[in-house]
Order: sequence, then C-alpha cells, then structure tokens
Amino acid sequence: MAPKMTKAASLSLAAVLASMSLLSACSSNSNSNAGNAASGGGSASAGTASSPAASGKQVTLKVELFDRGNTPSPYTITNSYLTKYIQDNFGTPNNIKMEFVPVPRSEEIKKLNVLMASGSDVPDIVFTYDSATFNRYAQQGGLTDLTDLLNQYGSNLKTFLGDDALAYGVYDGKQLAIPGKRSILGKYSSFIRTDWLDALGMKAPTTTQELYDTLVAFKEKDPGKTGGKVIPYGMTIEPAQYDPLIWSFIKPMTDEQRFTLTQKLGSNEYPTLLPGFKDALQFYNKLYNEGLISKDFGLDKDKKQLTQDVQNGVVGFLTEDYPNLYYADGSYENLLKTVPTAKLDPIDPLTNSEGKHAKPAYAPNGMYIMIPKSSEHAAEAVKYLDWMAQSENMLALQNGVEGENYEMKDGIPIVKTDAPQDVVDRIYNYGDIVILANGKFTGDEEKDKQAFAAGFPPAYQQNLRKALDISVTDTFAPLLIDRPIEAESKYGTALQDKYEEFIVKAATAKPDKFESAYESALKDYMQSGGQAILDERTKLYQEKK
Amino acid sequence: MRGTVYLRRYWQLYALLVLPLAYFVIFKYGPMWGVQIAFKDFNFFQGIMGSEWIGLDAFREVFHSHDFFKTLRNTLMLNILDLIVSFPAPLILAIMLFEVKFQWFKRLSQTILYIPHFISWVIIGGIVYQVFGTQSGLVNNFLASLGFGPVPFLSDKHYWLFTYLATGVWQSAGWGTILYLAALTGINRDLFEAAEVDGAGRLKRIWHITLPGLKTTIATLLIINLGNMIAIGFDRPFVIGNKMVMDYSDVLSTYVYRTGLESGQYTLATVVGLFQAVVGLIFVLGANYASRKLTDEGIL
Repeated sequence: MAPKMTKAASLSLAAVLASMSLLSACSSNSNSNAGNAASGGGSASAGTASSPAASGKQVTLKVELFDRGNTPSPYTITNSYLTKYIQDNFGTPNNIKMEFVPVPRSEEIKKLNVLMASGSDVPDIVFTYDSATFNRYAQQGGLTDLTDLLNQYGSNLKTFLGDDALAYGVYDGKQLAIPGKRSILGKYSSFIRTDWLDALGMKAPTTTQELYDTLVAFKEKDPGKTGGKVIPYGMTIEPAQYDPLIWSFIKPMTDEQRFTLTQKLGSNEYPTLLPGFKDALQFYNKLYNEGLISKDFGLDKDKKQLTQDVQNGVVGFLTEDYPNLYYADGSYENLLKTVPTAKLDPIDPLTNSEGKHAKPAYAPNGMYIMIPKSSEHAAEAVKYLDWMAQSENMLALQNGVEGENYEMKDGIPIVKTDAPQDVVDRIYNYGDIVILANGKFTGDEEKDKQAFAAGFPPAYQQNLRKALDISVTDTFAPLLIDRPIEAESKYGTALQDKYEEFIVKAATAKPDKFESAYESALKDYMQSGGQAILDERTKLYQEKK
Repeated sequence: MRGTVYLRRYWQLYALLVLPLAYFVIFKYGPMWGVQIAFKDFNFFQGIMGSEWIGLDAFREVFHSHDFFKTLRNTLMLNILDLIVSFPAPLILAIMLFEVKFQWFKRLSQTILYIPHFISWVIIGGIVYQVFGTQSGLVNNFLASLGFGPVPFLSDKHYWLFTYLATGVWQSAGWGTILYLAALTGINRDLFEAAEVDGAGRLKRIWHITLPGLKTTIATLLIINLGNMIAIGFDRPFVIGNKMVMDYSDVLSTYVYRTGLESGQYTLATVVGLFQAVVGLIFVLGANYASRKLTDEGIL
C-alpha cells in the first residue's frame, strides 16, 4: 500500500493526523482556564479570598448541581427555569455569572473526589451528604474557613439555619461547611396490606411478635391469592428496609454505651456494637429461614425488585422511607393498577424491649455545603447562599410562580395539582437547586408538614400524613460529636459495605450456623476498621469525662 | 547517507506512527508519574508533589489488611478457574467450526457466537439477574414448574462461581475463536488431503494436524492470559457479584475501586495497583520463559 500511495496523499494524511493530536492536546488545557484567571492554587488564605464583585468586573460563580437524568424538555440541566431565575434575580444584579456544574447523582462522591483533586477546576460551591467525605476534606485542609465570611455576608443564612444546624459544619472549631437544614426529621414508616388482614379476619399487629404471627399467616394462607409467590415481608439490602427492623431490637443503653459503641459511617449511625444488634440478626435469620422475607434480598441494592414485588401485589408488609409509596405514579398507585382492591396502609408494629416503636431519625442537618480552599469566590458563594436563605427567594425557588404553580393558603404554599405539565416542569429539580433545605420551609414545623403533604395526590394525602407521624414517633436522635473521629472518615465508606455484608451473612446462614456466621462477620467488620473506631471513641469519651 | 535518503523517502510512515506512540506516552507512560503516590501520604489538595513521603508505610498497611488477602485469593481463584474453563472453550469451538463443511452455517454460527462479546457487562448483569434470580428468575421458575426447589445461582457462593464462569464463557468464547480460525486458515490444505488419503480419521487429523498448527497461537494466548492472572476486569465481578457472595466475588479491582474511588484513599489503591503490575510482569516473563523452554515459541 505505502509505495503506491501518492506522495501528496500520504503527506496530507500525515499532516491531518499530526494536527489532530495537537488539537486534542490543546483542547484538554483550554477548559480549565475558561471563566476565571489562573488559579492561585492553595495559596489563597481563608477569609481573604474575597474579590470585589461590585467593582465592575463580572465574576463567574460555579455551583455543583446533582444531575438525576430527569430534566424535562425543553430544559437542560444547566439551563432551566430555576437556573435562569437565579441568574436574573441574584446573578445579574450582583454582576455574577452563575455556572452550574452537573454531577451525576449516583456517582456524586467519586466525581466530587475527582473534582477536588483537580484543584483549579473545582466548583466554588460543592456539597455531599457523606460526613466521612466532609471530614476527610476538612482534615486534609482543602476547605475555606467560613466563620468570618458568615459574619460579614451571611446574616440571613445564620438566621435560617440557627446554631443547631450550623454546629454540624464545625470541624475543630472552624466553620468549614454550611450544613443544609431539614424540615422533617422522620425517616421510616412501616406499611401493611390491610385488605389481606381483612381477608384473614386479623387485626392490625401492634408488636413485633404479633407482626411475626401475621407474617406466618400471610405465608400459609396467602390471602392475596398470589399462587405461592407471596412475600410476607418485603426486604432489600437498603437502609430503609433493614434499619427499622434492626433498630427496633436495640436495647436501652447508658450514655457511655451510646457514645462509644455507636459507629457513624457516612451520614448515618450504625448499631453494629450496640446491645441488641445480635438479637436483631437472629430474628432476621429466623425470618429468612422460614421464608418470610424476600429470598434474594441481598441482591436488591436499589429496591428495584422490591418495588416490582410491591406493585405486583405479592408483598404483605414492608418498611420504607415514609413518603416513597405515595408519590404520584409511585408504588401504591401502580399497585392499584394491578390489584384495584389493594390497601397499603401505614402501621407501626415493630417494638423494642421497652414497648416503644424505636427507629432512627435524621439529624437536623442536610448536606454539607463546602467552599474549596482553591475557590477565589468564597465571598460571592456565601452571598449566594445568603440570598437563597431569604424566605421570599426560597419560596420562589421551591414553589415556582404563585397562582400558576401554587396558591397561598394560611401561609402554606399549596401546590396546584392541576397545573399544566410545562408549569410543573419549571421546578422539577427544586430539591437539588435549593441545597440549603431538605424539604419545604415555611418557618413553622407543622406548616412544613402540611406543605409537604399537599404535594401528594389528594387520594393518598391522609395515608402520607399518617406515615409521616409514624416516622417521627419514638425516634433516636443522632448524636453530635464536636470532634471528628478520624477512623470514621478513613474506614466509613468501606465499613458501610461490610455492615451490609454482615447482615446478609448472618441472616442467610442456616439456623445452626448462625452463631459462627455472626462471629466471623463481626471479626471481619472489626478488622476492617470497626475496632479502630471503637478505640478512638472510647479514648475520646474518657478524655471528655 | 543512506539513512537520510531512507528517511526522506519514508518519513510519512514514521509520521503515521506518531499518533499511536503519543497514545502510549500519554495514556500508558504518563500516568506512571502517579505511581509515586504509593510512597506518599497523598493529600489531594496539595497535589502529588506537595504530599509527604512515607516510605513503605502504605505497603505495610495493605499487606496487613485482611481484605487485601481475601481479594488477592479471590482474584487468583477466579482467574485460574476462568483459565481452566474459558481458555479451551474457543479452541474447541474453532476446531468444530473449522470442520463444518457448509460455509453459510459456519458464518451464521460464528456471528451468533460472537455477538455476546459486544454486549456490555452491565447489560449482561441485568440479564443474568433476570435469568438466574432465586425468587423470580427464568431458570428457577422453570425448575419450579418441574417440581424442583429453587437453586441459589446468585446468592450461594458455590453456585455463584458456576454462574460467573458460565457467563464468562458465554460472553467471550465466540470472540476468542476468531484468532484460532485465522491461524487455521494458515494450515496447508494439502496436509489434510494427504492425511485423508492415508486413512486418518477426523479425530486423528485434528490431533496430528490441526492442533500442532495452532501451537503458536495457543502459546501466545496462554502467555497473555497468564500475564493477566493477577489483573482482573472490574465490570464482570462487580456486576455479577453481590453482597451475598462477597466471600468470592470481592477481587482486587473492586477492592481498589472501594478504597480509592469510594473512600478516597488513593495511596492504598495505588499500592495495590502497583503490586498488581509487578506481579503481572513476573507472570508474563515467567510464562514466556516456560513457553520458550517447552515449545520454542515465545512472544518476547
């Protein structure tokens, strides 16, 4: 081939190839400098990182934004009604160009690690729900200290969050993150097929023992006529399914036990070492071996199978994040399409040794909002959050346009369920835009709950409200420790996997092998960092005494 | 003098090489700069240069870690089993296809056989879960209709090994035949005719002509496979694996993913990566040496 090729042809081919490689080498560099001047690296010291925005030159403020791949047309994730609203109402008046940096929701932490490591390319506002990740960044000195900036530009922000929530962003006495705030702290509720209970003439179970009897009856009598496919208790390997069961077995404990034996991995507390954990697993094991919970629960890491099973009408009882079943086009609505007579109602049967319906709740903080140290626009970033915290702005961002998206009734924004789709789509991702808030804020807790319930299809609002009330009954409030546990930031993420492996192994062992399965899984967990966390917490507790 | 004439005449060919060379420099040699992370307490806000040297501390931590040995054992176990099961499969398939007389049938079956190679593991994972699930999987539904109890293909670690290996064969065997078939076309047809005239049966012909003709290809592929003994693809164990079979499905690549990308411990992840590279190199050189001794064929 080569000798026959004309010289001109081969020459131009080579030239094209060479220039292509040059082009690609250039383009990979040009992005990082767009928008802002060469970054000063880590040298810009905290507090003085502000640059005067008012003095003529427009600055670009880059803000992370979760991308769930659900943007309705004609919008794009970085160009929607809400991003435009922010640009027009906050950006333009302050001479700031807002730039949203999309990050896939499911790979949030991995992507954030990569962004942080890139230094100059990282957005000015980043966030995560994972406290281990926040602690790691804080410990490695990668975050801007916001104490002074908050005093200077963040008066609305401080009022909105209050000291309770702000305390979650303090690391070693420095305000290194601005925690979002949660309006409703409840997490889980249980649900049962009331129509199955009626068919069997049974009354709703009120204790764990009664629940067990009900599950056995569901399996043996198959009131849903599923043809042997009945799953009395729908289970997965997701917190919403295993947490309520396990925490209901945790026994009363002393303050010392609460402090030293709890393991906080990521943003949640784990009861691995607390008294009662083993009993929980023993019960789990019994349910599994008697065929009362989903057989493949260990494979279901995203509730996909469970959702299918619920919708197909074969699940009798389950625990779930309290609002999940009742959304429009949610599991309950789809269940009604398969089994029109189905009734899936909230219930609270899991009881602990004191007869309480103990279950975990959220801490009053939402995500950790952070400003990387390499950011040159820390002041603008705080101003942006302060703007978002003002109630009229938050109302507009969370609810859209009054009269079109919602009506005000007694100070509660009521979503108009009959609004046309393009109007609804305006605020499709308000939860991800309003990073300061988890849930809607009206300034009053009861009103927040009503506002939240008003967003559901009218037919399910009553059930939703009941589930919500169950979710805040007898809750364990998470414990706030003002000093970071280093071992938790180091091993936290890996231990979460270990914890789930622990549950699966203990639950699926043959009953006579339970003891050894439990022991070996515990050993594995302790060796993988559990011991290190226990030691550090014990030491810290003694120092504090 | 001759050199310059030669260069002037053929420089375009060398220019064409620039792109592949640039690929290797940028994507294969460039990242080696980062290997030093294994010896540093890597802090990503300070960058590679700003991080402190810690000597072999990270190696000590990895070699003391319980998970490292478990994942190392699993990696070797899965790879050795895979070698035993998946390595001969394309060879046998290729010989069978080669013996087929109808060209259209051969072409058709070849295409059907190698289509799975183009399906991403993520999709295969989805299919596997639908087909082999305990509660609602296709196979178990079928078994149930025959009156057999469910087989935990995905949730029992021993059955899971079977599932893992079988999907591996299904995915890669067809594609693997291509190299063998190419080598087979290189065998002189006269040999087969002469053998047939001499009264050699089909099996005899395969044994004395086909297999020796494939010796070099087999040796080459074996060396490549052995070189990958310690490396293991990420997708397959990650996608097919699950919490219930972590005892077997957790391998070095998933371990690196967990410690490096999920927990942000880049130093430990780099240590494991470096370890894999060094052991991999030893395996390749060893296999090459053995192959030279045994068959006089090597690739280095």
